[in-house]
Amino acid sequence: MTNPSLSDWGLYIHIPFCRSRCTYCDFNTVIGMGEEDHRRYVDALLLQWQRISAIPRGNLVSIFIGGGTPSLLAPDHIDRILEAVRRKLGISLEGVEITMEANPGTVNESRLHKYRLSGVNRLSLGVQAWQNHHLQRLKRAHSVLEAAQGVEAARLAGFDNINLDLIYGLPQQTLAEWEDSLTGVLGLNPDHLSLYQLQVEEGTPLAVQLQRGRASLPAGDMSADMADRGRERLIEAGFVPYEISNYCRPNKHSRHNRLYWTMNPYLALGAGAHGYWNARRWWIIRGVRRYIEDLQAGGNGIAGEERLERLEEMREYIWLGLREEGGFSRNRFRDKFSINPESAFGAVLGGLHRRGLVERQSEYIRLTGRGRDLANYVFREFVGSS
Amino acid sequence: MKQSEIRNFSIIAHIDHGKSTLADRLIEYTGTLSAREMAPQVLDSMELERERGITIKAQAVRLDYEHEGRHYELNLIDTPGHVDFTYEVSRALQACEGALLVIDAAQGVEAQTLANLYLALEHDLTVIPVINKIDLPNANPEKVQEELIEIGLDGTEAIMVSAKLGIGIDETLALVVSRVPPPHGDENAVLRALIFDSRFDSYKGVLVYIRVVDGSLRVGDQIRFMATGASFEVAEIGVFRPHPTTVSSLTTGEVGYFAASIKTVQDTHVGDTVTLAANPAEEPLPGYRPAQPMVFSGLYPVESSDYGRLREALEKLQLNDASLTFEPETSAALGFGFRAGFLGLLHLDVVQERLEREYNLSLITTAPNVVYQVHLTNGEEIRVDNPALMPPSGEIQEIREPMVNASIITPSEYIGAVMELAQERRGIYKDLSYIDKQRAMLNYLLPLGEIMFDFFDQLKSRTRGYASFDYQWSDFVPADLVRLDILINGEVVDAFSMIAHRDKAYQRGRSLVEKLRDLIPRQLFDVPLQAAIGGRVIARETVKAMRKDVLAKCYGGDITRKRKLLEKQKEGKKRMKSVGSVEIPQEAFMAILRVDDK
Repeated sequence: MTNPSLSDWGLYIHIPFCRSRCTYCDFNTVIGMGEEDHRRYVDALLLQWQRISAIPRGNLVSIFIGGGTPSLLAPDHIDRILEAVRRKLGISLEGVEITMEANPGTVNESRLHKYRLSGVNRLSLGVQAWQNHHLQRLKRAHSVLEAAQGVEAARLAGFDNINLDLIYGLPQQTLAEWEDSLTGVLGLNPDHLSLYQLQVEEGTPLAVQLQRGRASLPAGDMSADMADRGRERLIEAGFVPYEISNYCRPNKHSRHNRLYWTMNPYLALGAGAHGYWNARRWWIIRGVRRYIEDLQAGGNGIAGEERLERLEEMREYIWLGLREEGGFSRNRFRDKFSINPESAFGAVLGGLHRRGLVERQSEYIRLTGRGRDLANYVFREFVGSS
Repeated sequence: MKQSEIRNFSIIAHIDHGKSTLADRLIEYTGTLSAREMAPQVLDSMELERERGITIKAQAVRLDYEHEGRHYELNLIDTPGHVDFTYEVSRALQACEGALLVIDAAQGVEAQTLANLYLALEHDLTVIPVINKIDLPNANPEKVQEELIEIGLDGTEAIMVSAKLGIGIDETLALVVSRVPPPHGDENAVLRALIFDSRFDSYKGVLVYIRVVDGSLRVGDQIRFMATGASFEVAEIGVFRPHPTTVSSLTTGEVGYFAASIKTVQDTHVGDTVTLAANPAEEPLPGYRPAQPMVFSGLYPVESSDYGRLREALEKLQLNDASLTFEPETSAALGFGFRAGFLGLLHLDVVQERLEREYNLSLITTAPNVVYQVHLTNGEEIRVDNPALMPPSGEIQEIREPMVNASIITPSEYIGAVMELAQERRGIYKDLSYIDKQRAMLNYLLPLGEIMFDFFDQLKSRTRGYASFDYQWSDFVPADLVRLDILINGEVVDAFSMIAHRDKAYQRGRSLVEKLRDLIPRQLFDVPLQAAIGGRVIARETVKAMRKDVLAKCYGGDITRKRKLLEKQKEGKKRMKSVGSVEIPQEAFMAILRVDDK
C-alpha cells in the first residue's frame, strides 16, 4: 500500500438529510426535509463550490459524499454535484475514488445504477448489526434483510467496491450476536469493512437511555473481546487490517480515509463539513437553514477555522499516521517537515518504545499490537500540554 | 465605668439552638446596631461561618443598657460553638461572670448543652437558662424545664424566648443585670488582662481581645505578654459596638481589644496574661496552656507548582488562627506539601475548605491521624504525627494514643446501638444516666483516632439522627497499635500508611485494598495492591491491566474534535498523582476515611 503523494487531495461533501435519527448519532443530520429542501440545499452546495477560489495544485484522488444519508438525494442531484466538480476542475473523474454513503433501506438497483452512471464508484452501507432487535433499538431505518438486499442490488448495479459498517459494544449485545453479525456481513462478500466501537455521545437519546437505566452497555471487557474477535475473523476471511477500525480486500482500501491519516489536504463542501489544507483546519456552518442563507447572501459558508502551529501539525501527523496498521513513513515526515520524527519527538517516542507500544519497521514507525489496543494512550502523548 | 455597672457574659448552646440569633437580637435591642445595619448573625463574620452556622472566632460586643434608671455596660463575649475549640471556649468563659445557656424548645438538652454547662460551672459562672424557639409548632418548653431540673438547674427560672420573633429579649437583658455578678478585680493593682482571642488586621497588626482583670490599660502603655515575654507599645484601644470604636483606656472588669503593631497572632497566645512591662504583675492569671494540635493531616497541592501558593495561604490563615500549625513535609507519593496540625476534625475541615475556596487551591488531603506518644526501646520518647514516620516495631517499647471523654445523648431506645458503636470503636464504658424519661447520656472514654473514622456519621445513622455527641480531651494511654502500610506495585505509598489497633488492622487493610482496587483506574500493566503490617503482607488485590483504550469511531474529517477529546482525556489524567508509574486519583487518598470496620 503506497502512500499518497503529499499533494494528493480529496473533497468531502456532506449531505445531512436522514429519514430518522439513530439513537447513538451525533453527526450533523436533519430529519423531515422534502424534495424542495433537497434542491435548495444542493443549490447552496453548488454555490459554495463555485466560490472556492483556492484549489490544491496536486491530484484530486477522492470524493466522499457522506452524511446523514446521501442516498436520500435523488440521483439527479448527485449528478449535478459531480458534474460541477468536473467542470470547475476541468478534469475527468475517471481515476478518482468517489464514495457515497447509503442507507440500505433507501436504495434499489435502478436508483443505485443511476448513482453509478453519475460517477459514484464506491458504496458505503451502514449495516451496523445482524439482528433486527438491535437495529430497531438503535432506530435504524432498515432491517437485516434490506441490508442484504441492498448489497445485492449494488452488485447488480455495477458496484465492485462496497464497504459495510458494523458497530460493536451495543447495549445488551452478546458476543454470540457479534459473531453472527460478522458472519452475516462476511457472507455478503464486501470489499471493505469498518468495525466501529459504539461511542456514547453526550445529548444523544442513547446517552439518556443509559443514564436512566433503560439500556446497559456490555460489561467489563466484553467490548475488548468483540474488537479482538472482529479482527481475528476478518483476517481469517482474507481481509487486510490497514487502520484501527478499517479492513479491506487487498488493494481495496479507502483512499479517502487514508488522506485523513496521512495529512493530505481535503476540501469541505456542505453543512458541517471539515477541511484541511496548509496547516489550516476549517469547518462549515452546521445548521442547514443557516448554511443555505449564508450562501444565498453571498457568503462562503465557513463557520470557523484553526491554524496549526508547526509543532502541532507534526504532532497530529504522528498520531494520525499511527492509526494506520503500517504506521507512518519517516521519510514522508521528513519531506513534509524537514526534520526526522526522532529529532523532534525522540524522548516521547523512546518512552513509548520502551513500554512496548510503538516499534520501528524499516522506515516506518507503527503501533505494536499492544499499542493498537491502547492507541488513545499513545495518541495522548501527542496532544495538549505536557 | 464603675465595676458595679459592668456585666460580662457569654452565650453557650448546642449547635443550631439559636445562639447567634439571640446575640443579634440583644445587639439590636440595645441599639448597638440599627435594624438596617443588621446582617443576620453579625457576630459570625467569616463567610464560611455564616454558611455553616458555626462560630469560629470569638468576638466581644459592648452593649449599652438602661435598667431601672441606671446605665450598664454589658459585654457579650461570643464563644466558638464546637468541641474542637474547647480551650478557646474556656478562655472566653474565664473572661465572664455569667452565661446564658440557650436550649432549643423543641430539641431539648443536647450533648453540647451539657458540655458547655459543665465548662461554665467549672469557671464559677452564673448560668441563666434560656429556652429559645418557643414559637416553633413542636416547641415543648415544659419538657425542657424538666430536663433542666434533671441536670441540676432551676428550670422554672428559665426565660422563655423567641429570638426570631424578639420575644423575651428585654427580660433576658434584665436578668443579665440582676443575676450576673459584676466583676470584682482590684482597680489599684498592677495590670493583669486575660487574652481570650486575637485576630489579624492588615492595617493595625494583631488585635488582641482582652478582659481586664486587675488595674487598667491606656494607649501608650508598654505591655508584656507573660508567657512569651514579648513587649509592645499599645497604639490603639477599642471596643466593639460591634464595629470597632476606639477608647482611651480599659479599666478593671472591662472587655475590649488593643493593637500594638504585633506582626503575627503567634505572639499572642489565648489564655496568656497581659501586664505592664515596667511594672509587671507577680503572678499570671491561672489556666494558661498553649494550644496543642491533636489531629494532623498532610496537605499537598495537586499541581506541584502550587506549593508556593499553598505556603502563602497557610501563612495567611495562620495570621488569624494561632492553633493552626504546619511544617514542610515531603511524601514519596505526593511530592512537596505540608503536615498541618489542627485542634480537631472540624478545624481541619474549615481550614481545608478555606484553602480551596478562598485561595482557589486544589488539594490532596491525606486521611487525618492523631498524634502518638512513642516510647522507644532506647528510652527516648518521641511524638509521631505522621503514620509513615512511625519507627519499626522492633524499636518501639510502647505507643500511647490520645483519648477523649465522650458524652453521647440518645433516645433510650438507641442505647444498645450506641453502646455497640462505642465498643466497636474500643470505647471504655464509664457511666449511663437519664436526662429524662426518654433520653439517656452515655459516657465513654474513646480513642480520638477512632472517632475520626466516620464515627459521627455512624452515630447519626444508627440513632436515626437523634443522638448528639461531644468530647473533651482526656489523656494519652498505651494501646496495642500497629502501622498498616499499603503497597502499590510493590512500593509502600507513604500517604496511605496508618496506625491501627492490632485487632482491627487486618480487616482495615483488607477493605482498604478492595476499595483502592475500585478507585485506581486500570493502567498499562497489572498493578498489585497489598496491605502489610510490619512488613508482612496480609491482603492483596490486583488492578488488572487495561485491555483497550481506542477511539474507533470515525468523525469524518473532523480531526479537531478527535484531538479535543484526547486533550480532555489527558487533562483528566493530569489531575491524578503519579506514584512510581501508577496514576492514582485524588479520591483514593481519602478512601481510608470511608473504610468500614465491619
